[in-house]
Amino acid sequence: MARRGPAVQRGGRLIVRYLRLLRLFFRTELQYELEYRLNLLLEIVQTIVVTATSVAAVLVLFSYTTVLNGWDLGAMLVLLGCFYLVQGFGELVLQPSFEKFMEHVRLGTLDFALLKPVSAQFLVTLRNFQVVQLSQMGLGAVVVAIGLSRIPNIGVAEAMGFQIALLCGFGLIYALLLALSTFAFWFVRVDNLMALYWSFMDAGRFPVDVYPGWLRVTLSSAVPIGVAVTVPAQVIAGRLDPLGLALLVLGTVAAFVVASRFWRLGLRSYTGASA
Amino acid sequence: MYRALLVAQIQAASQYRVQSILWMLFSVIRPVIFLAAWVAVANSQGGQIGAYDVRDFAAYYICLSLVSNLTMSWNAYDFEFEVRLGRLSPKLLRPLHPIHYSVVENVVWKLTTIVPLAIILVFVSITFDARFRTTPAHLLLFVPSVALAAALAFFSGWVLATLAFWTTRVHAVSTFWDRAAFIFAGQIAPLALLPGPLQAISLALPFGYILGVPAEILRGGVSVPTALQLIAGQVIWLVIFYFAFFRVWRAGVRQYSAVGA
Amino acid sequence: MTEAVVDVRELRKTFRVTDREEGLAATLRSFVNRRRKDVNAVAGITFRIDPGEVVGFLGPNGAGKTTTLKMLSGLLHPSAGEASVLGYVPWKRENAYLQRMTLLMGNRSQLVWDIPAADSFRVLQEIYRIPDEQFRATVTELTELLELQELVHKPVRNLSLGERMKVEFAAGLIQSPSVAFLDEPTIGLDISMQVRIRRFVAEYNRRTGATILLTSHYMDDVVALCKRVIVIHRGRLLYDGPLADLAERMAPYKVITATLHDGAGSSTDLDAYGTVVSREEGRVTLRVDRQVAPERTARLVNDLGSRLADISVEDPPIEDVIDRVFTSEQTMVSA
Repeated sequence: MARRGPAVQRGGRLIVRYLRLLRLFFRTELQYELEYRLNLLLEIVQTIVVTATSVAAVLVLFSYTTVLNGWDLGAMLVLLGCFYLVQGFGELVLQPSFEKFMEHVRLGTLDFALLKPVSAQFLVTLRNFQVVQLSQMGLGAVVVAIGLSRIPNIGVAEAMGFQIALLCGFGLIYALLLALSTFAFWFVRVDNLMALYWSFMDAGRFPVDVYPGWLRVTLSSAVPIGVAVTVPAQVIAGRLDPLGLALLVLGTVAAFVVASRFWRLGLRSYTGASA
Repeated sequence: MYRALLVAQIQAASQYRVQSILWMLFSVIRPVIFLAAWVAVANSQGGQIGAYDVRDFAAYYICLSLVSNLTMSWNAYDFEFEVRLGRLSPKLLRPLHPIHYSVVENVVWKLTTIVPLAIILVFVSITFDARFRTTPAHLLLFVPSVALAAALAFFSGWVLATLAFWTTRVHAVSTFWDRAAFIFAGQIAPLALLPGPLQAISLALPFGYILGVPAEILRGGVSVPTALQLIAGQVIWLVIFYFAFFRVWRAGVRQYSAVGA
Repeated sequence: MTEAVVDVRELRKTFRVTDREEGLAATLRSFVNRRRKDVNAVAGITFRIDPGEVVGFLGPNGAGKTTTLKMLSGLLHPSAGEASVLGYVPWKRENAYLQRMTLLMGNRSQLVWDIPAADSFRVLQEIYRIPDEQFRATVTELTELLELQELVHKPVRNLSLGERMKVEFAAGLIQSPSVAFLDEPTIGLDISMQVRIRRFVAEYNRRTGATILLTSHYMDDVVALCKRVIVIHRGRLLYDGPLADLAERMAPYKVITATLHDGAGSSTDLDAYGTVVSREEGRVTLRVDRQVAPERTARLVNDLGSRLADISVEDPPIEDVIDRVFTSEQTMVSA
């Protein structure tokens, strides 16, 4: 068996390696899920039902008005679509990975991730996919498209800003889930915390400015679902200024850094405690 | 017999305090979300939508939240779990129908969460300046109405759960059920505000009789004669699901034992 | 003089645990006054391991073997002392170090259960950046050595415990490490699988020259694989040297357990066969000098005839050997 020399190695720069790994994680899971076709089909049908009924709810509201707090129907549909894009992203890769992470902590199998020559945080938080949730994201995109068809004058700037804001939304949800799951290092079972997260997530279906003060603040900071969903929709509907977008990007980076630090803190306590 | 179960459940409940509070939050957060939305809609139309102004909406959703908590039934989910794990068999062998356990568990949970919920709802009420049109007659009618609603939620949930005897895909079925309830139970809008065809459907389906009807009775949003009619509707649906449950259960147990527990 | 692969000096690990007794009163007291106790899992050990050695860490449960391994693999920071493996400080977990080592834990799985092992190998190839050709060669060789041909394409959850262990081994060695830490690798496996795993480890060491440290509380693991053994008890290093010397010097006996049909109360005559250690419910346990054990066993079977329901001849439990090492007790065994 050849002992590998230092020169010959796969993979180029770091980001390329990590992207390749992500693709591998995704493909492996995809192969697995494709074997259960009936399951896939049922999941997709469920997603359609959920999305359709949510659109129906918005339509009921808009049967009585044309504008809700400054949002017209097109903008509202874009918002709802963004909600399902962000939520779908969470269910696509974040939730499966964090569930698996909590299981690793419980069983003591987290150690293996620590001993690989790749970032442990990456290996743990972006490892597991639930590919069928792509359908949720897809439907979200469809709803966004429907909403956009009712909005005139969408320029390149708005489109770019929208994508940036959406990516920030994904980043914010990542940071939130990362922080929540860190509690698993100390409390092992954080199902309750996750349930709390879920119930607040639901508030993302409406623009964050609709809510009373205290809830609005919560949804913009502690549980940033409000910001993650509302801002992209605002951008594409032409309501956000560049300064606000810049603040969002900074905020996302800050949240990511803080949450990662917190997670590493938990990791230190985990390795220190295990015998 | 119920007393012994009750004591055991109260002891168990005290251990799940945090979890109970969290579940209770479920019954608050969604109504608050839709309340905020309707307030925004009303404000855009001069403060009134149909027979509801902002204060009416507040009162409605507060009542809905209360009713939602009082009618919550989750035992069905546990049941599917138990069937899949094969933990059901020992319970079937005991002389006590498994449903008694869940009745007691259900009631105890509601008793423990009603006080914190009421406190939260008082705050919401003050924040939105909710106006209740309740009269003593309404209060009197509310008691049987919410009891019927809770029983209806309970048995319909169990009918769904019993499907676990035949299929592992109960999750899909309950998603459809939940989403139908989302539209027709009075969550996204008070039933009176649902557009024509939807409103007609909602009166024909059981969902509205679980949430919307008791909520409106408590709020005083319907006249007493109408309330009595709606309660009659609740009774009809309860009877349907009550007998449906026992039928389906018997068939299911036979199926289960035939396949091999 | 060759550079040591593993160089450990005065390594220490102390854990703080809350000391709580049973009972309601103690629970209430502990709310107010948390008593912390320091547990010396590893209390200052020193040793060196040269390239290509297969060294066994022997010791009863809780002796500090796993803790030592965790420090050497980089999972734990020591409380004091130094260690270097392949020239790296393990707990810094530098990528260059992680690339060349592996940790395999007997009762813990690193593979994803729902997918075939082959897919997990592919992921590992990517993680360790193994060139295609080398990857293929390694996988082929491991498959052949461990007889994995039919196993790698089945989802891991469908494999039996033994099969899973083999596949875990392969996964742990995909990157062709220079150092392998094996923690209780045969735990829970049936005898035949234990033998196969041991044979594999020996062969792997022979072919690759990888340095192997393994911990076990099964004497047989160590006997089969390790020329050198390090005995750890209560965090201290009690013995470091050739295996052959340890067993023979410290516990030169076998344990014979005879189960009788008629209840052993009356069987005082078994004294002639060996030192009677215990007598309970028709079972008599004897200690017999290693050399004469086969002959004594044969005589017992012969003499007791139909009175004998069952008989077993075993090595002394490792705890006894350790006890002896610790107390340096030398018992006279009846000849």
